[in-house]
Amino acid sequence: MKKILIVFTCIASLYACSESDDTTPEISEDRFDRTAMLINWADKIIVPSYERFDEEVEIMKSLSANFLLTPTQENLDFLRITWKNAYIAFQNIAMFEIGPAETVRFRDRMNTYPTNTTEIEGLIAAGTFDFSLPSTNDAQGFPAIDYMLYGVGANDAAILEYYAIQANREFLFQLIENVDLLSSNVLDGWKNGYRDTFVTNDGSTASASVDKLTNDFIFYYEKSLRAGKIGIPAGVFSSNPLPNTVEALYARDFSKTLALEALDATERFFKGQSFNSGQIGPSYVSYLNFLNTIKNGDDLSGLISTQFAAAKSKLNSLDASFENQIQTDNGKMLETYDALQRNVILLKVDMLQALSINVDFVDADGD
Amino acid sequence: MHKLLIPILLYAAIVTSCSSDDDAGAPISENVEAPATYVFERAGVSTVSFSGQTTRILMAEEIVGAFNDFDNTTETSLQNMFAHREGAEDFSDPNLNASDKSVRSKIAASKDFFESNMTEAALIKTTFDGYISTQINEVFPNQNVNAAPGIAGQIADGPTTRYVTGKGLEMNEAFAKGLIGALMTDQMLNNYLGTGVLDEADNRADNDATSTEIDKPYTTMEHKWDEAYGYLFGTSPSAASPLTTLGEDDSFLNKYLGRVEADTDFAGIAEDLYTAFKLGRAAIVAKNYEVRDAQATIIRQKVSEIIAIRAVYYLQNGKTAIEDGNFGAAFHDLSEGYGFVYSLRFTRNSVDGTSFFSTSEVASFLENMTTDGPNGFWEVTPAMLDGVSDAIAAKFSFSVAEAASVD
Repeated sequence: MKKILIVFTCIASLYACSESDDTTPEISEDRFDRTAMLINWADKIIVPSYERFDEEVEIMKSLSANFLLTPTQENLDFLRITWKNAYIAFQNIAMFEIGPAETVRFRDRMNTYPTNTTEIEGLIAAGTFDFSLPSTNDAQGFPAIDYMLYGVGANDAAILEYYAIQANREFLFQLIENVDLLSSNVLDGWKNGYRDTFVTNDGSTASASVDKLTNDFIFYYEKSLRAGKIGIPAGVFSSNPLPNTVEALYARDFSKTLALEALDATERFFKGQSFNSGQIGPSYVSYLNFLNTIKNGDDLSGLISTQFAAAKSKLNSLDASFENQIQTDNGKMLETYDALQRNVILLKVDMLQALSINVDFVDADGD
Repeated sequence: MHKLLIPILLYAAIVTSCSSDDDAGAPISENVEAPATYVFERAGVSTVSFSGQTTRILMAEEIVGAFNDFDNTTETSLQNMFAHREGAEDFSDPNLNASDKSVRSKIAASKDFFESNMTEAALIKTTFDGYISTQINEVFPNQNVNAAPGIAGQIADGPTTRYVTGKGLEMNEAFAKGLIGALMTDQMLNNYLGTGVLDEADNRADNDATSTEIDKPYTTMEHKWDEAYGYLFGTSPSAASPLTTLGEDDSFLNKYLGRVEADTDFAGIAEDLYTAFKLGRAAIVAKNYEVRDAQATIIRQKVSEIIAIRAVYYLQNGKTAIEDGNFGAAFHDLSEGYGFVYSLRFTRNSVDGTSFFSTSEVASFLENMTTDGPNGFWEVTPAMLDGVSDAIAAKFSFSVAEAASVD
């Protein structure tokens, strides 16, 4: 794959040279209003998404407090519903690993899976834990709560029996409180200063908001969505499929819901769709269309939108539980992966080329 | 410029060596050809053997793996793995336990560099012992502490957790990347490929007479050459044609030759090294020692380049991460860089037969990297990292920019 990328880079650089020859000098992409796009992103998409997430987390926390006091089946069921709602809301913010989120390592602490059940049991037994330690990434966040809500017993009776023990209930509560703490922290960061920092950093250098967040967006699409949710469990990067690495492993019938929400969220961001109203504002689609009217090239935003739809249709054909899907017909997982992969090329190579943004991440060295 | 220069220089070198030989008689390369693969046989029996190198690489893998095994490793267990004694149950692999070889005994142990420099050799061994004791006595107690300036502990490098000293240095990386120089490179360039070893005692006469070692199919000289080869390709699943799995076969020279090869600025280096090893070995069979030594020169130059390129690569990547305020990623890069810089001491300059970098030069690089402030990498400046990078690249024909990126 690296070789393919190199070829693409070569083609891209050749293309760039020949293209710059035909471009009349006074026409420049700088004319696109990057500030308006940043304002749309911050005020219509990012902050409202964090607000929704924070609300869902608050509800989950209050239900968790109920369960801590009264560990009944009914309270367990309520708690599971609120966990699902919060986890869905999380899919809308997971791509924005910038500013306050980056500082607290938000995504790694919220959604590292598969969770480490041995470590979780060890932390409970020890009675003390520090979720700020990076080594606890895989023992906290939504995947750890998934295990605690669905995986600690063979059935609900056994799970409730597990929660007859105070320390277990306490740990579950701490997990959720930790999510709440991080959520408030990031939302407060955006509301108290970072929003303005983000919007005013409207240049086009590597450290400018557009360049950084675009990289974060594509990194998320490639690594967390395409690889994490589909590719890794389907065995794209290993000799065999790894069904135990699906998202929401213990809730079982929930991995598809999460993946669909994540894909929708990336598509909405690509289009610039307001989180609350659905109204379209400036984002990549308008940016690419703007450049296209100048350069008269391919309809890149159209190609990417078509590919979003194609990937969604593949994703829709999967079983609600990706674990089931992998075990019954992994071919469909691989088809979904391929459909997602096509947009990695379009976004990471073609779109970045069009926007003159450099990729700031490389495939990990592996050591 | 660099890309053009290398083929030109190589071509010039080949032409020169051929023509100079014309004066003396037949071209020296006329009767020696590199075979397609590293296969050499006598009466249908393979004469290639480097099991001792394979063993040491595998031992080194287990030692490095044990560095962060907080639940099972002690200073004694790690030191015992490092200075293994035959029969001791130090490793998970019983073949390694049964072996009479050890990693520590071959640290800074080359004939050319250290036979009459035991003082420095002892210091180098002690440095590696120190990595072990620092890991156990400083890092292990802080396993569950967040690292901070002056405080050992863990730090996030993206999704990965790194364990560093109070100066931000990962001991396992310093140890592993240091071994690439002090064990693999030193043994290869300064021991087995040197005439001091290849032509030791009656080696040349024996090889001229095709007089093999007792109960062995190979001459001593052939075996010495193979042992050099083993430190690069000794853990390849198909060691006779090892380039298909290049980079995947160990965590040491093989891996980083693979990394350098993947950089288009240096593509071809793996084939060049493989060819030089094959041709040099064929030259020994053909009893043509000029061709043999010319190949040793090529290998010395290119293996030295691997270390220098990777040193610059990690210093530059560490610099970028420092500028981004990403300390976890920076410390990991700088720790690898620290090990590669340490390894520069064991490179080999064929012009005068010494290292490309003196002991004091390397020491000052390492000191510069770690003393911008009292807390090592926590305070290292981009300017300092650029300074060290420039000084390294200046001794070679590659630029800092070429080494810094892998595309």
